Amino acid sequence: MKKICITGGKGGVGKSMFAILLANELLKKGKRVILCDCDVECPNDYLLLGQKLGKLVGQVYSEFPKINKKKCKKCGICVKTCLSNAIFQVPNKYPLIMENLCSGCKACGITCPYGAISFYKKRTGRVFLTKVKKNFWLATGMANPGLEETGLIVAGTKKTILGLSGKINPDFILFDTAAGIHCPVVSALLGSDSAYCLTEPTPMGAYDLSLILELCRKLGVKSKVILNQADLGNKANIYKIAQKFKVKVEKEIPYSKELAIAYSNGNLLNFWK
Amino acid sequence: MRTKNIVILSGKGGVGKSMLASALSMLFSLEKKVVSLDCDVDTPNLAIWLNESKGKIISTTKSLKPEINRKKCDGCGLCAENCQFSALIMEKKYPKLNPFLCEGCGACKVVCPKGAISLKPVPNGEIKLITTKYGFPLIYGRLFPGESGSGKIVSKIKEKAEKFIKEGDIVIIDSAPGTGCPVIASVRGSDYAILVVEPTISGVSDMKKALKVVDYFNVPFGVVINKWDINKRITKSIEKQFKNKILGKISYNKEIFKAISRLIPIMESSLETKKEIKDIYLNLLKRT
Repeated sequence: MKKICITGGKGGVGKSMFAILLANELLKKGKRVILCDCDVECPNDYLLLGQKLGKLVGQVYSEFPKINKKKCKKCGICVKTCLSNAIFQVPNKYPLIMENLCSGCKACGITCPYGAISFYKKRTGRVFLTKVKKNFWLATGMANPGLEETGLIVAGTKKTILGLSGKINPDFILFDTAAGIHCPVVSALLGSDSAYCLTEPTPMGAYDLSLILELCRKLGVKSKVILNQADLGNKANIYKIAQKFKVKVEKEIPYSKELAIAYSNGNLLNFWK
Repeated sequence: MRTKNIVILSGKGGVGKSMLASALSMLFSLEKKVVSLDCDVDTPNLAIWLNESKGKIISTTKSLKPEINRKKCDGCGLCAENCQFSALIMEKKYPKLNPFLCEGCGACKVVCPKGAISLKPVPNGEIKLITTKYGFPLIYGRLFPGESGSGKIVSKIKEKAEKFIKEGDIVIIDSAPGTGCPVIASVRGSDYAILVVEPTISGVSDMKKALKVVDYFNVPFGVVINKWDINKRITKSIEKQFKNKILGKISYNKEIFKAISRLIPIMESSLETKKEIKDIYLNLLKRT
């Protein structure tokens, strides 16, 4: 089983589109494929494939602190402990917890000398699975709206799907990542065998490519470049950066109106060129 | 007149946030004092859209990572057990840190009974300043690849920008894609939001997710449809839904791609797009 990430730094360079086209190509060769959408803030693969999210197969929880007012002596140690600034205290009042800033690290519970902090579980994300067609499954991780730290949802999604892969027995799991290079992208890349880094022939595409290639190198994930809309801009910079990082430009995808229309309408199932 | 913070977001990436931010910064700067902030610290591209390159570092940002003192550590494993992010694992009797998973929360430090763990500040990014050739300052942040804490870098950009902003200025904030911490930090405290959407099934879905963040902070908003003519059916349905919230539409034009490949800012090109953005700007003036 091969675990491949489809990523790219810059947004809108065709990550999801390429992930689906790659899945289609592997299916054509008779491979069993799980496409796992790890863009948990804005998952779109199900829309692009014209699918429903499917069955809820996993849930991701975080634990948040709660103050027991009977035990709390208002000492303020929890406030000093919290490095996310999620605990706020007016002098001589009970501390207030701002859940949306809380990372769920539980350090406050460790330092409270009176055992006044307990934790409650709250669902922060869900994992869905649907069988798209023969040999093709689509998994979708989805963070709760408004959640700040979404890296843990990606990790939870991957864990759920890797747990199910024993049953499905795929030849490939394709992880489609979010844009950017921060936590949710790092979580998606960790443990992958290789990554395709999508880009476009613009100065922004080139700059963002250098960032994602540097991230892959730091994480020890082998990477290759896919150049989308290759015929529209200036390719030279992309090749220069690929050379600098000693990675290959595996494929150039020219602009295609037909593909753009299929994408806009969510008709990428069975699409290949 | 009071300062106006205008944030540009979209949920989906690559739909034209930075292009619009660059053009609006230039247009506003003809009549007012503008401060432009690139808050997409993962992949900051606004400077490129303005054909600017070298920024001056005005601040470095740091995140905390644990450092284990092996002389004091007795290998009890409590730190690894209490790390909610699986960033510490026990290896050959000692805890080993995976820095890519570490949130810098310090739970390991406070749980260690031997006082063997300290938190060390590690540079995770920088804030830079460019005085653009159009006269307005551009302040942007950069998260170093492999580091964490983009939300905090965004907050730091805003903090550092304060001394450049005077009463009555227009602040243009270009946000990251998605809806997570950097986006939330960008929207927080804004006076008006511009949601950029492209007429694709994913573009609309993501824009509605971004709208939830805008609504959460109760920020008034307008909508710009970019590449409106690539799917007229979906454009119509966006117009129907958002009616008078629509600030304007921008046509799909391969030439934009080519212009920017030659580092020509949109407002200095001879493209039709210029007029479309000017109309959006005029509409925006009426609403903000």
